[in-house]
Amino acid sequence: MPKTPVTFDRSWLPEFNRLIADDGPWHKWELFQLALEAEEALAVKNFDQLQALKFLPSLKPYPHQLATAEKVLNEMRGRAILADEVGLGKTIEAGLILKEYMVRGLAKKVLILVPASLVIQWTKELNQKFGIPAVAQKKEYMWRQYDVVVASIDTAKRDPHRRHVLSIDYDMLVIDEAHKLKNKRTRNYQFVREIKKKYCLLLTATPIQNEMEELYNLINLLRPGHLGHTEAFASTYVEGKRQAKNNDQLRQEISKVMIRNRRSDGGIRFTQRRVQSVPVELSPEEWALYDGVTRFVREHYRSQAGGFNALALITLQREVCSSREAAFMTLYNMHQRAPEGSPTQQAIQELVDLIKRIETHSKAAKTAELIKRINDKVIIFTEYRATQNYLQKYLSEHGITSVPFRGGFKRSKKDWMTDLFQNRAQVLIATEAGGEGINLQFCNQVINYDMPWNPMRVEQRIGRVHRLGQERDVHIYNLSTKGTIEEHILHLLYEKIDLFEMVIGELDEIVERMSLGKSLEQNVIDIIMDSQSEREMALKLDNMGKVIRAMRQCVSPNLSPTQSEASR
Amino acid sequence: MNQAEVRRFAERYFAAFSSHVLESHPAYFTVKLPEEVDKDIGNRPFYWTWIEKMNIPPQPLVITFTFDPEQKPEGLRSEYLHFGSGRLQQIFQSTRRHGRFVCLYEQMEEPSQRRGAKRRSTVPLTPWLNLNLKISFICDKKRDVLLYLGINLYHPQVVHDFYLFARSLRLGPSIPDYAYTLERRLGIEKASELAEREVSKIIAQQDDGWAEEARTRLAEEIEILTSYYDRIADQTAGGEPDNSCDPKPTLESETAASRTAEKDVLLTIDEHTARGGRILDFLRVHTIPETPREEIDQSSWKQSTPAEEKERRIAELKWQYEPRIEISLINGGLFYLYTQPASAGSHTDGRNM
Repeated sequence: MPKTPVTFDRSWLPEFNRLIADDGPWHKWELFQLALEAEEALAVKNFDQLQALKFLPSLKPYPHQLATAEKVLNEMRGRAILADEVGLGKTIEAGLILKEYMVRGLAKKVLILVPASLVIQWTKELNQKFGIPAVAQKKEYMWRQYDVVVASIDTAKRDPHRRHVLSIDYDMLVIDEAHKLKNKRTRNYQFVREIKKKYCLLLTATPIQNEMEELYNLINLLRPGHLGHTEAFASTYVEGKRQAKNNDQLRQEISKVMIRNRRSDGGIRFTQRRVQSVPVELSPEEWALYDGVTRFVREHYRSQAGGFNALALITLQREVCSSREAAFMTLYNMHQRAPEGSPTQQAIQELVDLIKRIETHSKAAKTAELIKRINDKVIIFTEYRATQNYLQKYLSEHGITSVPFRGGFKRSKKDWMTDLFQNRAQVLIATEAGGEGINLQFCNQVINYDMPWNPMRVEQRIGRVHRLGQERDVHIYNLSTKGTIEEHILHLLYEKIDLFEMVIGELDEIVERMSLGKSLEQNVIDIIMDSQSEREMALKLDNMGKVIRAMRQCVSPNLSPTQSEASR
Repeated sequence: MNQAEVRRFAERYFAAFSSHVLESHPAYFTVKLPEEVDKDIGNRPFYWTWIEKMNIPPQPLVITFTFDPEQKPEGLRSEYLHFGSGRLQQIFQSTRRHGRFVCLYEQMEEPSQRRGAKRRSTVPLTPWLNLNLKISFICDKKRDVLLYLGINLYHPQVVHDFYLFARSLRLGPSIPDYAYTLERRLGIEKASELAEREVSKIIAQQDDGWAEEARTRLAEEIEILTSYYDRIADQTAGGEPDNSCDPKPTLESETAASRTAEKDVLLTIDEHTARGGRILDFLRVHTIPETPREEIDQSSWKQSTPAEEKERRIAELKWQYEPRIEISLINGGLFYLYTQPASAGSHTDGRNM
């Protein structure tokens, strides 16, 4: 049996001998005793029990967060993917684990890589909630001068910073939003792989977005070879690109490196979601525009006339469901690009004329009415900047105060807008990316002004509000323009696959295990673009809903039969 | 430590430095920091460098510490002191720095007052070396055991819990008039060796399961890793090279040079000031200058080869798992005692060595 190496510190001997030779100066007996008492209080009495909590009197972690920290320490040995669903407090878990290693003296040099917009927030939370002296990296010298550094991965991977980072041995590396590392051919991925690290935490709410390989790549950053070699992995676990096989075995392997707490696991009480559709009737002028655009999109999508790429056309189709302003910008750009005097340009001109003829905005009017009825803080989500701007103007004309919120805002502006919303304005109008890392639990009313075609995005919107700390039931209003694609989409997402009523997190599971995320969106696009008639589209969407329902029953056999029967 | 213990600790700490307590309230107290304390816990090293350089009288810091976050003093800036607070950790460090080595003599009653003692006789004091040690068992986790050893330097012998015993005695920094010290027949080095031997015995008695487990885990992990990279090696041997970016030789040497330069930066600024160094000097020597724009070259990206990556991962695994035991000295001292500790427990006769 190999013997464990023992090192005995003898560095104190010369100093002590010199003190004896000079008879002093000796220290005070009282301080000698205090030093020992401090050491006794700090000593780690056993291997397994969490020590960090003694140091954090004002932190009240949830049981699942404590359990996660303990599991990472005791079973995963400090290398793990923390993949809790949005809103369960991954940051708290990571902070606890980091604090524990620091308290035990096992981690000193720590690097935390996060998206640029989250650097300040992470720094603040580590300092305030965990008493960890983290600094936000600004200058080159800081890599070495400070032990706990928070930096943006995009900065860190570039010279001259990369050189410093790669030459330091990090006791712990934490990466937030780690799903951005899913592709092993990216610089980010290769950079992280090169960092020398002892413990490592990868945080993501969506460990798989599209393909099984993404999870494989993440795990390979932590423990290369844990799922075998790429080919072995593929042949053992991957059925199609998006489909797993040998699920139980895979699950077991993954559970050794990944923890995923779900809201549905219980133990945490979440408030209810109350969803309702708010029907909107279009005026004849608005109808004319909607029909015109829909016809234009389908014709050009199929014939590929005008040389527009499919994406632009799909965008246009989605925009026209949101607002005429959103559609106008795209039409304008298409017009600029189309050959002068071509029939396409002519067609676009006609559509623009239709826009000019519209005087009412039924959806905005309905929204203003709804907000007045709610008479409380409201968050409106839209996918389009143009809609956002228009709505802000419209609401202001109707005496409703609102602030905008976009993913592109600087962190300080986001905080400022959140603050304004909390204290001054009634409404926050957010575009899609608006959410990362912002907590809006003080609000419990959400209006989906338009519908993303990818269900995960809908979930992310609601997750901003429906998370730990939300004390009231969350009301979700989906605006649905009668007779349009929007209505069909909502019908599919809402009624057929019960998106909003799924136990929170269930959708994740379906998307994860069936890898529906991208394919669902793609299928929706195909159906909408290729259908010859409204009837055909409705029928196809309906069929798709049935398929998903069937899948869902395979995934969640715990669904009660009455429930699934009733909603058939 | 609960809040009452934290408060008691802080009060004793400030009292040990004869700090002036301006106000003491059940929920908080206000204290003026003496210079020594200020330098340790005041967080203003630049101020002190400046004061010393300009040779001007310092303005002492006054801090109000609260012990119950619910009960803050009105109209006073205060600081919540608790076990996890940075300031208490600094106080702990300060006690470690100023409570490291002591030399104490037992103060007993005058011989004339002791029954049966001859008048004017003097009494012998036995020299003891007290070593308070922390044994840390480390793998990917850690556990500490504290030992308070006492080594008799007159008649070689090791006892446990010496500090706990010494604490019960009346001790003072100078030798009482009617006492004399016995000769230290055992040198400090020899005594330290005795202590090491005792520690080894203690370690041998401890359950070694944690280390066994860690070694097993390490072996398993290395096996997985090795087979993974061997597969990759087989593949690349027959196929396309994985890493296409060629490093530029000039950049390579530059990186190597800067790495050796960085090796020197071993002290943190805290360690530097703790050793009495001046901050400005530290910054002059150690600050990493911003790399000039023209030296920044994003093209110098170089990925490790699978072989290098394998080596690195194995090194990381060993770093993470390899079990080891580290013994460090918390503090120690010379104790001249009239009363002797019960020599129960282990006993080693130095002359048999």
